[in-house]
Amino acid sequence: MMTIVDEVVQLSRTYPEQLRNKKTEGLKLVGYTGRYVPEELIHASGAVPYLLCRGGEAEPLDAVLPYMLRFMSPFARAQIGYHLLGMDPVLPMLDLIIAQCDDCHMSRLADLFEYFELPTHRIGVPADWKKTIARDYYYKGIIELKEKLETITGNTITDERLRKSVTSLNKVRELLTKISLLRKIHPPALGGYDFIRLTHCSFTIEPDEMVTHLEKIYGQLREEASSSHKKSPRILLAGHVVGIGDYVVLKLIEDVGGVIVGEALDEGMRHHLWQVPTEGDIIDQLVETYYLTRTPPSIFQPAWKERAAYLKQLTDELNIDGVIWYQLTFEEIYDMESSFVAKVMAEKKIPFLKLESSYEYAREAMGPLTTRVESFIESLKTRGGK
Amino acid sequence: VTKDVYEEFLRITGFEDEIPAYLPEWKKASAKLGLTPEDVSYATEERIPEHFDTSLRGVRKALCSTIKETIDLTKASDYKKQGIKIVNGILPAISVFYYALKMTAPDKVYVAFPDIFLTQVLNGLFHKLNPYLEEAERTGIPYGCRHCALNKTRYAARRMNIIPSPDISWIWGFICDEGPKTDELINCHHDPDWKTYITRIPHDQPLGTVEDENISRIEYLASQMKDGFEYVQKEIGIKVTEEKIAEVQSNWRRYTAKVAELNRLMVSEPIPLGGLDGRIFTDVLNAPYNTGFEPMEEALDIIITEVKQRVAEKKGAFPEGTPKLMSMTISLAMPWVTKIFEENGVALLFRETGVASPKQLTPLSFQDPYMAAAEAWLRYTTHVNPGYRAELIIEKTKTLDMDGIVFGFFDFDRWIGSDHRLLAKMVEKRTNIPVFYLEGDAFDDRDYSPEALRTRIESICEIIKMKCGRN
Repeated sequence: MMTIVDEVVQLSRTYPEQLRNKKTEGLKLVGYTGRYVPEELIHASGAVPYLLCRGGEAEPLDAVLPYMLRFMSPFARAQIGYHLLGMDPVLPMLDLIIAQCDDCHMSRLADLFEYFELPTHRIGVPADWKKTIARDYYYKGIIELKEKLETITGNTITDERLRKSVTSLNKVRELLTKISLLRKIHPPALGGYDFIRLTHCSFTIEPDEMVTHLEKIYGQLREEASSSHKKSPRILLAGHVVGIGDYVVLKLIEDVGGVIVGEALDEGMRHHLWQVPTEGDIIDQLVETYYLTRTPPSIFQPAWKERAAYLKQLTDELNIDGVIWYQLTFEEIYDMESSFVAKVMAEKKIPFLKLESSYEYAREAMGPLTTRVESFIESLKTRGGK
Repeated sequence: VTKDVYEEFLRITGFEDEIPAYLPEWKKASAKLGLTPEDVSYATEERIPEHFDTSLRGVRKALCSTIKETIDLTKASDYKKQGIKIVNGILPAISVFYYALKMTAPDKVYVAFPDIFLTQVLNGLFHKLNPYLEEAERTGIPYGCRHCALNKTRYAARRMNIIPSPDISWIWGFICDEGPKTDELINCHHDPDWKTYITRIPHDQPLGTVEDENISRIEYLASQMKDGFEYVQKEIGIKVTEEKIAEVQSNWRRYTAKVAELNRLMVSEPIPLGGLDGRIFTDVLNAPYNTGFEPMEEALDIIITEVKQRVAEKKGAFPEGTPKLMSMTISLAMPWVTKIFEENGVALLFRETGVASPKQLTPLSFQDPYMAAAEAWLRYTTHVNPGYRAELIIEKTKTLDMDGIVFGFFDFDRWIGSDHRLLAKMVEKRTNIPVFYLEGDAFDDRDYSPEALRTRIESICEIIKMKCGRN
C-alpha cells in the first residue's frame, strides 16, 4: 500500500522532467554539491536548485576510475559517475554547478567537473572553522557566489528576495523538525527510511509546495498511532551521507526489526533543526547559521568532541537503544571518527555498529550485511530494547 | 651475531671517528625503536648495501645525519622532562618556520616531524615499520580504509611512548585532511595532553590557475601561516624575529640550489648516481632536523664533489644510454621499487617534488617572510590544482630531459595521490613522453610487495627501453 510519504516521493521522481520544462521556459538550473551552499541564494536568484546527491549504485563509481584514485569516496565519485555513463539526465542541462570544496573528495570532484567542461563555480569551506579568518573566507565565498548567481540569471539578489527565500525554507525546516520529533514517542509514527526520503524530496519539490505536503503529512501522522514498530529497538543513524537512492541499508535496518528515530548525518540531509534568523544582515545570518551554528561536519577541526556530545544528547533525548554508524568505503575521516564514537558509546553503554558501504548491493554482498544488521538488532532486543 | 653489529652499522653509515661517542646512544635508541640486533645486522649487511652506494662518502654522511636525527628523536621524552619545548609538525609543511624556532632558541626547543622520519628510517633501512602500523590498526586507525602509513606511525609512536605529547603540534592541512584529523584522533582517543594548532586552506582553485600569481590566495595563505606561527611562539614562549625567518629562507634557497646542481649532474651520460642516493639529500628541506641543517649540507657538498669527479671520469652508476624516469616518488621507505627498475635497465632517477621547476629557482616577489613563504609554497606542484600541476611537471621533465614519468604510489593520499590518473592524462595529451600509473603505497609495502609489483615494473621498463630504442 502506498503511504503518504510514498506519494510525495513519487512526485519528486518527476523532477528531471520538471527541470527540463523549466529550462525550456528560460529558467537557469543550478546544481550544488553540499551543505555549505545556501539553497536560499539560488532560489533568491530566480534559478532552480538541484542538489547533486545521488548514491546507492556501484556501476557509476567504476566509470570514474580512469580519472580518479579508486580509494576515493563512493559518494563523490557517484556525483559524476552517472554522467560519465551517460545516465544523468540533469547534469548536462545545468547552467552552473556550485562545487563545495570542504575536503579532498569533494574538491577532486570539482576538478573532474571542470575537466569534463561542466560549468563549475567552487566555494571553499575552510575546515579550521573556529578562526575568524576562516569564517571571513567562507563569507567572501558566499558574496562571490551571490555575484555569480546574479550574473548567470541576470537578477539582483535583493535582501528582500533573500529574506523571502529564507522564510520559505525555514518553514520547510520547521515542519521537518515537527515530523522528526514525532519519533520521540514510541512507537514512532514513521521510521528513518521514510523520514530520510522525505528530506530528500524537500530538495526536489519547490519549498511552498513542499510545505503543503509536509503539513498534510504532519497532520496525518500526528493523528494516527503507529502499530508497526512497537517492539522495534530505537536506532540513531550517524555518519556521513545517505545519498538519494541509497536506501538499501535503511530499509534493511527497519525490515529486520529496528526503527531509525534520529539521524546525525553530515550530507544529504536538510539540517532542519537550524533555522536561519531573518532579522539583521541576511547574508551574515546565512553565514553564521551555515558555517558556525550547526553541528560541525566530521572534516571540521576541532569537531569530534562536539559531535560526540551531540550524539550523546540525541541518544538521551530520543531514548536510543543502539547507534548505527553508516559510512562509505575509503572515507578516511569518518573511518577514524568511528573509532572515537565507538569508544564514547561504549562508555555510555550504548551498543554501536559500524556499517560500511561501497554501494555494492548484489546478493553476495547483501548476505553478510544482512547478518550483521540482524544480529545487531536481535542483540538490542535481547538486551531489553523496545 | 659475533661482531658488534651496532658498531658496524655506524661504520657503514659514515660515523667515522664519532663511532665511540655515538655507539651507546645508538644502542639505546634502536632498543627504544624496537630494533633487535638482527634488525641492525640486516640493515648493515643487506638492506643498506643493496640499495645505497656506500662507497660514496657523501652518501654515508647523509645516512649518518639521518641516524643522528633518529637517535635524537628517541630522546624527545627526555628533552621534555628537561623543560625543552617540543614542537611537532607533519609533512607537508614549510620547514622554514620550525628551523627558525630552532635557530632562535637551540637549547629551549625541539622540532621534529616524527611521522616521515620514523617511517623512512624504520621501513627504509630496517624494513621494520609493521609493528607500528599494526599497533595503529588495532587501536583506532583501521586497516581496511587505506589510511596513510605516516599518520598510523605517528599515532602508534605516541601510543607506544616512542614520542611524547608535544607542547604544540602545529599541523598543516594545506594538502591533506587525514594528517590534522590524526591529531584530533590522538587527542580524543588516546592522549588528552596532545595539543594541536591547525593551519588549513581549501582546495578551491579552478584547473589551470597559476596559484603563486594569485595575490588573494597568497595573502590568505600568508595570513594562515602567520596566525599559526604566532600561536606556536606564544604557546612555547619563544619569539622569532622576521629576520631569523628570512635567514632560514636564505639557507633553504641555498640548499635548494645545490640540490638542483646535483640533479643536473645526475642527468650526465653515463648517469653517475642512482635515484635513491640522490634522494636522501632532499628530506632535510621538507622536514626539520632538530640536529640541524648543516650536517646534511656538508654531505651534499661532498656528494656534489664526488659526482663531479665521476662525471669527469665518465664513470657511471648505469651503462651509457640508460633510460631516465621521473617518478612521483623515489621511496626511501620502499627502496626496492627503485632497485627493480634499475635491475631492468631503467634509472628511476628523480622524485618529481625533489626537482625544482625553473620558476622555483627564480627569486620570490615578496620581502615579507610570510608572503614569500606562501608564494614559495604555491610554486610546489603538490600544493596546487592539477591543471597548474601538470604544467609544472611538464616543465620539469623537459628541463631534465626525462624519457618517461611514473605516476602513482600515493594511493593512501586523498590529495597528492588522488589526481595522478588525471595528471597522467593531462601530461600525456600535451607531451610525447610515455606516462605510466602504478597503484602503490610509498611507505607501506604490505599490500604492494616486490612480488606484486615486479611484473608491472618489468613491463614499464620494457616499453620505455623500446621507445628509447635500447632493446
